[in-house]
Amino acid sequence: MSAAALRYDLRRDGQTPVVVEVPGGTTQRLRLPDSDAKARLIGALLTTRCAAGEELELFGEPVRGLRRAERARLHERIGIVTQAMGLISNLNAWENISLQAAYHGTQPVARIAKTAHDALAALGTDPARFLARLPDEMDAFERKLVAFVRLLAKEPVLAVIDGLGEGLNREQSARAARFEAEYRARQPEGTLLFVDLAEEGIA
Amino acid sequence: MIRALREVEGGLRLLMNVWLRLPALRRAPVRESFLRQVYFTGVTASTGVVLRASGLGALIIAFTMQVLDADTGLAVKILLWVVLREVGPLAAAMVVILRTGTAMSAELAMMRITGQIDALRRMGIESYDYLVVPRVLGVMLATAALTCYIQFLAVLGGMVLAPFVIQASFTELSTQFFDLVAPVDFLYSILKSLMFGFIVALTCCYHGLNPPAFTLNGVPQAVTRAVTQSAVAVLTINAVFAYLVFGVLFFGLVKAVA
Repeated sequence: MSAAALRYDLRRDGQTPVVVEVPGGTTQRLRLPDSDAKARLIGALLTTRCAAGEELELFGEPVRGLRRAERARLHERIGIVTQAMGLISNLNAWENISLQAAYHGTQPVARIAKTAHDALAALGTDPARFLARLPDEMDAFERKLVAFVRLLAKEPVLAVIDGLGEGLNREQSARAARFEAEYRARQPEGTLLFVDLAEEGIA
Repeated sequence: MIRALREVEGGLRLLMNVWLRLPALRRAPVRESFLRQVYFTGVTASTGVVLRASGLGALIIAFTMQVLDADTGLAVKILLWVVLREVGPLAAAMVVILRTGTAMSAELAMMRITGQIDALRRMGIESYDYLVVPRVLGVMLATAALTCYIQFLAVLGGMVLAPFVIQASFTELSTQFFDLVAPVDFLYSILKSLMFGFIVALTCCYHGLNPPAFTLNGVPQAVTRAVTQSAVAVLTINAVFAYLVFGVLFFGLVKAVA
């Protein structure tokens, strides 16, 4: 087994410590005891910063005390689908997917387009019609799908999906369960982490 | 008072940011956003002003000749002074405030309240680069274009429609107009409309990005502040600019032209 892609340690007064270790190259389902712990872990990953009582290591590197450039370099290797999804409401699905890469010029747009078309087709959606739609015209699963395809386009070494099944019905949850295979097909060496609450995790 | 000072300080900081971040236009999504803003502010607004602008020109000529009992020369001078120098840029600015300013401030306030601006920051996208720079430049350019369009329609409308109301031919009116008009009139109105576009966009971006409350109620409040302050800023600039240009700097030149 390869070195840990993520190590997270949360100590809170009067509460059981939360210790997370995710080996690199694996798929893990993490069930955290409460929403505060979940929010703090996702917050730490989003900002690559630790608050008081937290320790976070990414790819064997503690994030505390990192410089801005080092933090940015680490951030480039992580992709996160948050519960809020972070979609821009006046951009259609394609613009939402390609925005980050097009803005930073990290990848050719043609490559993102191919990733988006292939992933959407594999997940049972017609790319031609879907990519022109605005987030407000989508249901919960479709918004999650856009956020996931955006994550795939970033080609992250560590992918984190927060509350995959939340807000989805049974049929949508079944479709969302195919995200894992889709990520694994593109990133065989990558690490995939599903984060949920212990009492309402996905099946 | 403190709020007013804070708003002025915020506006100045936004102004500096726009100026320093102009190179962001090299990025494809920022360019797209800029073109979208030009299209929304300039192109889609242009159809709605055709009748109003052409009617305005006819009304000014007819009103001047009937009420003031003026000759065609004075009527054309008033058309030039009022439409070309003052009403054209002001009408364009008002159209921009009412259509674009409201939409822009509401859109940005909504983005701020729903966490979309945080989402952009997490993607490493600067909100000034992606949201403010293309909007400010797009609105400036579109306001100038809309001003030219309104001026053209108002002058043409005045010359085409006025002969139906008053005793003056199209040829007579147009000959007098081209005798009187000078490049300084266009330069003055374009410069002014660029300033109008700039201040409207800056004010609306500022209030959109800084809504008074981070709830849905904050959106209409941000829009109200953006629209009222934009209108006041435009009228103030118009008065100051008219005084500076016609009162101090170019008085002799303009007087000679007129």
